[in-house]
Amino acid sequence: MARDLAIDLGTANTLVYMKGRGIVLNEPSVIALNRQTGEVLATGREAWQMIGRTPGYIVAVRPLRGGAITDFEITERMIRLLLQRVGVSRFTRPKVVICVPSAITEVERRAVTDAARRAGAADAQLIEQPMAAAIGADLPIDEPVGNMVIDIGGGTSETAVISLGGIVALEAVRVGSFDIDAAIQAYVRREHGIAIGERTAEEVKVAIGSADPTHDENQAEVRGRDLMSGLPKTVILTPEEIRLAIDDVLSSITSSVVRCLSKAPPELAQDFLVRGMYLVGGGGLLRGLAQRIERETQVPVKMSTMPLEAVVMGAGHCIEHYDALKNMFMGARR
Amino acid sequence: MTLVIVAVAVVLLAIIGLIAYSRRPRQDSGVASFRRHIDALSSESRRELKDRVRPAVDDDDPDTPQEPAD
Repeated sequence: MARDLAIDLGTANTLVYMKGRGIVLNEPSVIALNRQTGEVLATGREAWQMIGRTPGYIVAVRPLRGGAITDFEITERMIRLLLQRVGVSRFTRPKVVICVPSAITEVERRAVTDAARRAGAADAQLIEQPMAAAIGADLPIDEPVGNMVIDIGGGTSETAVISLGGIVALEAVRVGSFDIDAAIQAYVRREHGIAIGERTAEEVKVAIGSADPTHDENQAEVRGRDLMSGLPKTVILTPEEIRLAIDDVLSSITSSVVRCLSKAPPELAQDFLVRGMYLVGGGGLLRGLAQRIERETQVPVKMSTMPLEAVVMGAGHCIEHYDALKNMFMGARR
Repeated sequence: MTLVIVAVAVVLLAIIGLIAYSRRPRQDSGVASFRRHIDALSSESRRELKDRVRPAVDDDDPDTPQEPAD
């Protein structure tokens, strides 16, 4: 008998929670393929290390963008391999709950459930990421009070107001931490005339990226390829430059938070001033982001204790209490 | 013969009545289902989940490079 699973199928990372066991897998959502034969060469962390460093016959790709499947066949193969790694076989077909962005279309939802079923799941149900995040962040969503959660992922940012076990207001944008990396890449290319890879841009973001000035700021030395000469070149980037580069992306995220706040009923809106909003997701770890959202909304922002695992933990709770919580699944409410 | 027909009709009516009764939305079903839903979301109910997940996360090797996560 297979143990049921909860999967946070994220643009950046995939986490798997096994019923009765806890988190059993946490790997980047990357797959490396042989371009000529179509054979899978690596998945997860091993494939992630290959990004931008592969010979011509290998391609290392992220099959999800903006929280949605961009390549159905590759996603199905990636899910199948992940399920195999946690013990799912042809004879043990578990029930699966998958977290997806609330903004995905009906076609995209069907693609996710079909990919999971074809990869070996007996049944696949979907749950909105902000709802799963609120459960996983241990917010008191069973009470008649306003709980606000901001989930900043790799490809999407979602803000939800939750009360009495249901979503009251929701706002989502297909902008996330990968867009921050892309903005850094574009800035370095435009202002310094060098091309850098997405992993380098991510390293710059982690090293010196911030949404608001912080007290301990350093510069970063970045190596790339000079666009004019084609030769390797080193430039120095400052935190001010990075803030300028990523400002549009951050404005888009904070604007969606403001829109969600404005949708909330007044009775719940007053709760946020006392209880604050909770930030989850890898994108929320950007230095100064909580302070910037707080400054622009005038509402306190708190970081969840386990921001990277909150979503899969919430979905894991749903798989543990499947019958009592099945009304929360996306299909069940339609 | 008439008796058999009447008996069959009575049995059929009883079955239809039973089916109709069982399909009728019970007054307390919504309340009970909502209560179960809310109870399953309570902090008490989620304590077990936290206990299960925390050790797994704490065991992570701090030297392992961290990738961004959703």
